[in-house]
Formats: sequence, structure tokens, C-alpha cells
Amino acid sequence: MRSTRAKVAVAAAAVPAASAVAVLAPAAPASAHGTMSDPPSRVYVCKDEGPEYPKSDACKAAVAVAGTQAFYDWNEVSLLDAAGRHRQIIPDGQLCSAGRAKYRGLDLQRTDWPAKRITSGPLTITYHATAPHAASNFEYYITREGWDPSQPLRWADLVHLQTFNRQNPTTFTKWTLNIPPRTGRHLIYSIWQRVMGSNEAFYTCSDVDFGGSNGPTTPPTTPPTNPPTNPPTTPPTTPPTTPPESGTWAAGTAYKTGDKVTYNGATYECVQPHTAIAGWEPATTSALWRTA
Amino acid sequence: MRYGALALLAACVLLLVVQCGAVGGSSSTAPAAERGGPGFNATDVMFLQMMVPHQGQGVRLVRLVRRHPVRPEVATLAAAIESTQLTEVKDMAGRLRGWRRPPTAPPHSHASHGGMPETTQTELDALDRTPPDRFERAFLNLLIAHQDDTVQMARMETGGGQDAWTRRLAENVDRSRSAQITRMLAILGSRSPHNPSQK
Repeated sequence: MRSTRAKVAVAAAAVPAASAVAVLAPAAPASAHGTMSDPPSRVYVCKDEGPEYPKSDACKAAVAVAGTQAFYDWNEVSLLDAAGRHRQIIPDGQLCSAGRAKYRGLDLQRTDWPAKRITSGPLTITYHATAPHAASNFEYYITREGWDPSQPLRWADLVHLQTFNRQNPTTFTKWTLNIPPRTGRHLIYSIWQRVMGSNEAFYTCSDVDFGGSNGPTTPPTTPPTNPPTNPPTTPPTTPPTTPPESGTWAAGTAYKTGDKVTYNGATYECVQPHTAIAGWEPATTSALWRTA
Repeated sequence: MRYGALALLAACVLLLVVQCGAVGGSSSTAPAAERGGPGFNATDVMFLQMMVPHQGQGVRLVRLVRRHPVRPEVATLAAAIESTQLTEVKDMAGRLRGWRRPPTAPPHSHASHGGMPETTQTELDALDRTPPDRFERAFLNLLIAHQDDTVQMARMETGGGQDAWTRRLAENVDRSRSAQITRMLAILGSRSPHNPSQK
């Protein structure tokens, strides 16, 4: 298996028209990462139920909204460039998906996500890491008393529980959290931030149930300390290389073959029908535009 | 050929042993197939070597609309994605060739860097068997997931790459895939009678 793929790679390297070969080459299986297995995170629950035929209404809804792929890639609810900037790059309401469209089913505001029954006091938890990365920090949070599970989860809803720094996780790593008193349904939220060799961080939402109802829900008393004003773009050290635009080309416009536009002083002709989007500027997208 | 396969296999084993060094570092422990060089580093090489097969999976995915019923806007978008990604993959493979690096990395070699998210043939086959009334939604959701993975790879490069050409490419990849996702979410929403983000 491996040698076959390696042969393809070698062949592709040797042949000038390498791209055609590379496009056809099967890729290696993914092997990475992890999530909370106890109490299980939402992605772990739906993965265990089975992405194609989920059992719970919550997992069925998540698959109906955003598809099955999130649950095949259950151990990758991560941001490769997080570097501790979680509150800046993940908007309120998208904490369970880490702001990623692929995982948006995890953000569904439902009161019926399968939840583990727990009580206040010491709670042993387990993190399932399929690719444990040494020297990692794990932060744990729980939703505040008065949180409403039918409302978007905000950073201000989270109360810090414990942080375990410089951990060297194994495949199944256990810690004990001291859980404060709560009633009704809550979420345990975790952030696994790698600190060596990568800026990558992983995020989990585990539903737990203390019994009883959530009672009178209250809005968060503390405003978000870090409002999500910064879009998840490149780190500030990256100088902007995209020049300012001028001309008639405009994102959102549907262009037909033969249409002409100007862009930054040059004229281009459309060679394939498409609706223009950022990143498909005429000057850099020879598949769609040619110099007229 | 067989010799080369063994060499790459050996490189892969070595890689697993040394944990690939650090992302963005000019890791001298990386095997020759993935090491940086003059003006480019290991992250540049890794990004391009991850993107080449990932782009190939994306092309196979968008080609599925040719034999399934989708709305014209979806077919047009899929065709444009196919063309742009094929052009990109040629440029990427060309860049790697110029650096005397193979267009794809040995299997598993990127696991300790965050792995390589992928859309497997099994998943493509499952999509291909989806009944007509459910195909378009399943297709868009799989493509959103695929391009969401692409954005993550691009941000690894913009955060740690060295080569200006590769960094610029990654910025364009980030912007175009993010815009595609926004557009596909809008297309999905325009069919649903209610906002899917609500319960």
C-alpha cells in the first residue's frame, strides 16, 4: 500500500506533467487529533451513533443541516493557527464548531443533545487523542448557572474550571475536575492548545445534565471581554500582499464567457462562466480570465 | 522505481521517529523530500505537498455534479472550482519540481503537524450513490467540509511559510475557499424554508 503510493509520488516527481498523476493518486489515510470521550463531546456522540444513521434527534438534525463529514472527521474540530487567540477568532454562537462551517451542526441550539448525568463535586473526565501531541495545555470550562441551552453559547457563558499545563497526553488521558453546583443542562467546554511545534488548538462541547430544570435563565452578567471583532485572518505579522483593487470587476457578479472587465489597469476577458468571488481576481485566476 | 519507493518509506519512518521537527522551522531533521531550501522552508513544502492531493480529491468531488441533478448555479460553481483547482495544482506541482521536491509527501508523514484532512474515495462513492432528491445538499455539504479543511491548510502556510509565492497562493486559497463556503451556505439556505442554524 505504502510502496504503491510512494511509487506514484516518485513517478509524479519524475514526469513533467506531474499534476495529472498527482490528481489521480489516492491520498494517505488521515491520522490525527482528538476530542472529549467522557463526558462525550457532541461530535463524539454523533460519531458513536454513526454518521449515516444517527439515533438521537440532535445528531439527526446536525447531519441534516451540515452533512456527515464532520462526524467522520470527529477528531479534527480544530484551528491550525489558533495560538491562544480563541476568543478573538471564534465568534459567539460558534464555540462548539470552532467557527468552522464544516462543524456548524455542533452549534445547533437544542435542549435534547444527549447528555451525561453528573453531580457537583469531583468528576473524572477522559480525553481521547488519536494523535497525542506532547507539551499541550488543556483548559476546562462549564456554563454558568442561569445559562439557557436554547440560546447561542457565548464566551461570556463559560466559567473557568481548571487548566492543566504542559501535559503529555496519551491516547486516553484522564483528569479530575471539581464541578460546581448546577441545575439542569450544561456544557463542559475544553480547549486543547498545542504549545510546541504548532499553533493548533482543539475545541469540544460536552453536554451534561445535573437533573432538574435550568430554572429561570438569565442573560450573561459579564459582557464578553474580548468581543469577536477580529475576523480569523492571518496573524498580524503577515504583511498584506493583496493590492488595492480598481476596475469594473466585482465580486458577486455573474460573468459569461466573452465578458470583458477591467482590473487594476488591465482588461480581461472571461473564459469560463462563473460568479466572481474574492480570491478569483482576474489577474491571478488564469483558469477563468485571460488578458484581453 | 522500487529503490525510490524504499527510500521514501525509509524517510517516512525516520519522520515518525523525529516527529518532523517544528512547523515553520527550517528543520534539519526533516528528510530531503520535505526539507526546506534556499528561500523556502519545510512549511512551504508541506503545504504544497498536502494541497496537491487535497486538490485532486476536490476535483474528483466537483466532477460528480456532471452526472447528478443540481441547480445551474451549483453546476457553474462546481465547473469553475474544477478549472481553478486544476490550474493551481499544476502551479503547485511545478513549484515543488523547481525545488526538487516530490509533489506529495510520504503517507502519514504529516500526522504530527495536524494531519491531512481528506475526502476519501469511500466518501466520494457514498455521495455518488445518493438519491437525486438528496444529492445537491449532500454534495454542497461535502464540498463545504472539504474547502473548510483547505482554509485550515492555507492558514498554516500564511502563519509559518517563507516563500513569498507560496504565501501569496495560500492567501488566495484562503480567500477563494472562504468565499465559496459563504456562497454555498447561501445556496443551501435558499432552498430551505427555514434558517438551518435555528433549531
